[in-house]
Amino acid sequence: MHTGNTPTVADRLVRLIHGEAPERVPFVPFILGFCAKDAGYPVSVTYEDAEKSFYTQLHTAEKYGFDGTPLYFYASYGAWEFGGEVKMPQSQWEQATMITQHPAESPEAVEALELPPVGATGSVPLALAFSRYQAEHQLPVIGAPQVGVFTAAGNISGVSKLARWLIKQPETAHTLLRKATDHLVDTVGLWVEHFDPAQVLPFIGEPTASNQIISPQQFETFVLPYQRELHEKILDMGINSIVCHICGDQTANLPHWQQIPFSRDGFPGLLSFDHRVDLQQAIDLFGADNIITGNVEPRMIQDGSPDEVYHLCVEKITIGKTAPRGYVLMSGCEVPVQAPPDNIRAMVQAIEDHGYYR
Amino acid sequence: MSALQERQELLHHIRDAVVDYDEEVTVELCSNAIQVGLDAYDVVANGLALGMEEVGQLYEQKEYFVPEVLMCSDAFYAGLQHLKPHIRSDAATGSGQVIIGTVEGDVHDIGKNLVKLMLEAAGFVVHDLGKDVPLDKFVQEQQRTGADIIALSALMTTSMLAIPVVIEKMRAVNPNVKILIGGAPVSQESVDLYGADGYAETAARAVDEARRLLDLPYQE
Repeated sequence: MHTGNTPTVADRLVRLIHGEAPERVPFVPFILGFCAKDAGYPVSVTYEDAEKSFYTQLHTAEKYGFDGTPLYFYASYGAWEFGGEVKMPQSQWEQATMITQHPAESPEAVEALELPPVGATGSVPLALAFSRYQAEHQLPVIGAPQVGVFTAAGNISGVSKLARWLIKQPETAHTLLRKATDHLVDTVGLWVEHFDPAQVLPFIGEPTASNQIISPQQFETFVLPYQRELHEKILDMGINSIVCHICGDQTANLPHWQQIPFSRDGFPGLLSFDHRVDLQQAIDLFGADNIITGNVEPRMIQDGSPDEVYHLCVEKITIGKTAPRGYVLMSGCEVPVQAPPDNIRAMVQAIEDHGYYR
Repeated sequence: MSALQERQELLHHIRDAVVDYDEEVTVELCSNAIQVGLDAYDVVANGLALGMEEVGQLYEQKEYFVPEVLMCSDAFYAGLQHLKPHIRSDAATGSGQVIIGTVEGDVHDIGKNLVKLMLEAAGFVVHDLGKDVPLDKFVQEQQRTGADIIALSALMTTSMLAIPVVIEKMRAVNPNVKILIGGAPVSQESVDLYGADGYAETAARAVDEARRLLDLPYQE
């Protein structure tokens, strides 16, 4: 990871990862489609054009004055990569890539499912091209695997199918989770082949394992072993830190997430929490070893007034500044594509007014 | 055992079979109920539906999660499918009609399907438009069916913005139709902001909210 003298939009974040205290809390909004729209492009370029996706994110960070850093990510990962079909966002109501056909919707299809050739299918070539821009600009190479094992599996089969299999045909669920794990490990390996592992920050978003879908007991049986294996294998590749967006209400899963490694050799992991998880609780449980990021409610960024957003951010910053390994102000999930720009400015103002460590 | 006791015992077992998400036993018991001469609508209302009501409570209490509720819904619908041909045409529920769908731009439908299930189990007639539904279609379907409630679901903060557009379109044609909204990014505050009539955080609460909107008894 770039630690030279030339500052980048990710400078504060990188310093935090290397154990140096930045002068203020970094503000990394988790902002994708908004950047394309703000630059006058259709939202779809975020997912289908690596160059435009990268530069719209970079320029938006510079324009609004936040700390970056560009990221290629979509939560539907797994379907397209395993041979299903997706639809790029087109209308004003669409936020991200949507699955139109799942590749394995029956137990027989799961059995027959073959691991895709590494790097050749779905979004992976685009994500890899995106990471080349990150590396060129000496930014953190935040890349594969994009999603956690359970989310990938749900995207392959359809979440309703996977949910039923947890009870009705657990062996099918395990077969699918096994294949999803192997694919995600292989894909991260591709990043290690192309980039210096010390520069790579694998990004993992895990919405489907939230307690709005499954129980903590189901998490323990069907998520924990595979997710832990994924993280262990990633760290064994020489990668120092993992960025994990623990999406949705996962309060009841937090004790299980504590059993999963996010970093090695004294580096911190980066854990991003949804607004439904109590930020203080997240700091108490994970803050000793990890940078805590979050968790401004996206709906407020969309529907709130600049004043409301500002005060919500101040509230988060005040709590977050107590995190022992550092805190990053972030939206609790992706910043809404149609969010009013003044609300992003309000977030920047909050960090400027209250983010400094004094 | 008296006929009354036999009825109560059978309905109780049907309710338990739904809660235990035992599809096979649910169908078998529904078949038995018809064979012994129970009224099919009675079996739906006081067997299957009460089972789903209990499932809703277990979901609220975080005893059941989506996998369990989906399995229960399979048992419920299997039983309902078996009973439907035996339901008398005059056995109307009178609970009201609901049009439901996930708005345009959004393909997430698990929550919407759970709300549909709970509403059907509670006796509402539900017209399911599916997911990624063009906004005008909600209005057209309301005009066609005369439904009392439109239930709108969105999981994304971007598709959520389609909700007030549907509401505006609906109000322009028929201001008396009640609008119920839900989905992960939606909240009680959204009701005022978007001009809706009701919000339900969970599928089970959607039934109470629908009853409230139509001034129906809270619980039968």
